[in-house]
Amino acid sequence: MNAIGTEPYIILSMVLFLMGALGVLIRRNAILLFMSVELMLNSANLALVAFAREWGQVDGHVFVFFVMTVAAAEVAIGLALIVNIFRERQSINIDDLQQMRG
Amino acid sequence: MELNAISIGFVVFTIFTLGGGIGVVTTRNLFQGTIWLMVSLFGVAGYFVLLSAPFLAAVQILVYIGAIAILITFAVMLTRSVTRIKTRYIRLVPSLLASLALFLILLLGVTMPIFGGVSPEHAPATVASTRDLGAALVDENGYVVPFLLASVLLTGAMIGAIFIARDDTA
Amino acid sequence: MFESPTIAEFVTQSNLASTLPGTLLVAWTLLLVLVDLFAGDEREHWTPLGACLGLGVSFVANLFVYAPAADQQTALYGMFIADAFTGFLNIVILVATLLAVLMSRDYLMRAGIHRGEYYILTLLSSAGAMFMVAANDLIVVFVALELLSIPLYILAAFRSIKNDGGELALKSEESGMKYFILGAFSSAFLVFGAALVYGASGTTNIPQILEVAPAVVDAASSATFYLVVGTALLIVGLGFKVAVVPFHMWTPDVYEGAPTPVTALMSVTAKIGGFAALLRILVTALSVLLLVDGGVAAWQTTISIIAALTLVLGNFVAISQRNLKRMLAYSSIAHAGYIMVALAAAGTAGSADSATQGALVYILAYMFTNLGAFAVVMTIERVDGGGGNIDDITGLARSRPLLAMAMTIFMLSLTGIPLTAGFVGKFMVFAAAVQAGLVGLAVIGVLTSVVSAFYYMRVVVNMYLRDSSGELLPALETVYVRWAINIALAGTLIFGIFYPLASNLVSMVSIA
Repeated sequence: MNAIGTEPYIILSMVLFLMGALGVLIRRNAILLFMSVELMLNSANLALVAFAREWGQVDGHVFVFFVMTVAAAEVAIGLALIVNIFRERQSINIDDLQQMRG
Repeated sequence: MELNAISIGFVVFTIFTLGGGIGVVTTRNLFQGTIWLMVSLFGVAGYFVLLSAPFLAAVQILVYIGAIAILITFAVMLTRSVTRIKTRYIRLVPSLLASLALFLILLLGVTMPIFGGVSPEHAPATVASTRDLGAALVDENGYVVPFLLASVLLTGAMIGAIFIARDDTA
Repeated sequence: MFESPTIAEFVTQSNLASTLPGTLLVAWTLLLVLVDLFAGDEREHWTPLGACLGLGVSFVANLFVYAPAADQQTALYGMFIADAFTGFLNIVILVATLLAVLMSRDYLMRAGIHRGEYYILTLLSSAGAMFMVAANDLIVVFVALELLSIPLYILAAFRSIKNDGGELALKSEESGMKYFILGAFSSAFLVFGAALVYGASGTTNIPQILEVAPAVVDAASSATFYLVVGTALLIVGLGFKVAVVPFHMWTPDVYEGAPTPVTALMSVTAKIGGFAALLRILVTALSVLLLVDGGVAAWQTTISIIAALTLVLGNFVAISQRNLKRMLAYSSIAHAGYIMVALAAAGTAGSADSATQGALVYILAYMFTNLGAFAVVMTIERVDGGGGNIDDITGLARSRPLLAMAMTIFMLSLTGIPLTAGFVGKFMVFAAAVQAGLVGLAVIGVLTSVVSAFYYMRVVVNMYLRDSSGELLPALETVYVRWAINIALAGTLIFGIFYPLASNLVSMVSIA
């Protein structure tokens, strides 16, 4: 079976990871930030599956499994927080929250 | 790269994944953003098939698209925030430049000949069956601890979601 | 072919006994969920009482499991490592959680909130921290970190307070939201870093990474590149969790906005978990990233720069803070910098053990002192969220002399004055840094400690010297927070005065 090597997948996962990170940095809406984080987690999953094939091991797949579980838990909490904050102030934009004062 | 089913699939899924990603990062409409996210997640599921991980591809579609993306859609609807994006970007130019620079460094690192040859040995057609994956969770040398921790984590998340969502006055 | 072992085989093979402190705490907490459910409002004190008992049970189990403590043992098929490092940090986490539960009881009683889930989430978070310090595999590090963090996101967001005008006096949801976004962001870095390390080494098990890493480094292939980038991403991900510069931006807002007992808890357990993972990953797994000459780990320079930046920024920005919680937030950033100094020192071959021991003693001292300081802040803070400014503490010495005395001792310990635990911690960290050849970093540490004296002493000056002719400050707190202060004070003084005690406790710790 003619397969594509590991490197293209890793480069792609890096692109996706940076895209997600860029999204977190440049967007302000909490839900969009959250979706960008999901992109980053997915890029990690992609890299893990590609490496698992390279090493011929199941460990990478198991890791992906746990990432998905944790992502599900995070999304439940995150959306509860978002809905909660919206209920309180009718806005979920980070710029309507107090600025990060650093 | 010769033209065959796998390389065509690779190109198609790349378009899905990256296109969806660009859609998420640039969208003006939150609801469209969730659709773009689903497209991107679907592309990643396609890669999983190409990478001989069909079970994970199925889980990706069921859990990510079926549950996570739908939950996000719910959040968008519940907060009625679909069209409320006033400022589209902040810190756009510096972030973009930093990301590009970082990407070029990474690209060089992965492909440059100075780092010598790539990958040790190559790719069996199937990595692990669903059975192997299940066994790995409970086997000796298996992942019992994270498996148990994940179950506790889900319990905690459930309690926590109820904890925040419940009205204070109740 | 996979054959399922019987339960008895599983228990013996997996060496389950050595995980008892963590597993007992989790099991107890899950039982407590049911107790809380059926206890009803009139018996709502059962849950905090049960939480304290659970911590006690786990503490006793920890003493039994780690009494011999000399040799390390792995459990659950190498996922879990039970050594002196784990045993010591488990004790620190349990004591910190006990103090936080006492403070929370006071907070919830004064605010008139009956929420048993609060204690359950606190205990789950601590159980996550306990598994994190015992993690011997990157997957366990990740899952345990999430178990540690997710309850903290919820707790940070659980109570916003509106004052009479409908303005938000305590921006708790905002705090929780920021903590959540930054936490998820940093987790993504952690996972991607772990993925690259896995790609380079073919394993997620920390000792196995140590075995294969030299070959990966020597090969100078793209695998080497993955290992280096992966390590960098792991440092970034965990750097967010422990709040070191430049990954600290979220800390002041989150610490200020969260309810004070939650701030106290997260300023201790989240840092312990993060530093334990950093120490295990960098010192144990990647100590072989050695430069050819001199035997210095390749990550040492990076960690040193982060440590120096953190020390300078944390201490200098803290000077300008008027809100006590915000000041303590910057102070906690600065203290993360001191622990980073120890981490950097662990990068020199031969001084890994002494540096790790220094870090542990520092964490112990920081735990007692910081929780004590937050507990004192709670006593002057009003339920409506006001009263946490540095001016509100004026005249405390006249109205509450014992409380002022306790706060003074905590401030002295945070500064690092002899006869307090803070001094012992700083001394061991700086000694390790000098031994490791990082004299410059140790000098920066000492100088910034002098700077820190300025803002810590300002609190003391406000309590004792400034005009205090006004009315006496009322006693707002309940008896629970006084116990918390007493325990923290005892810890600060005992480990400060009997200074060999702490170093004896950690003398068997070795993770390299």
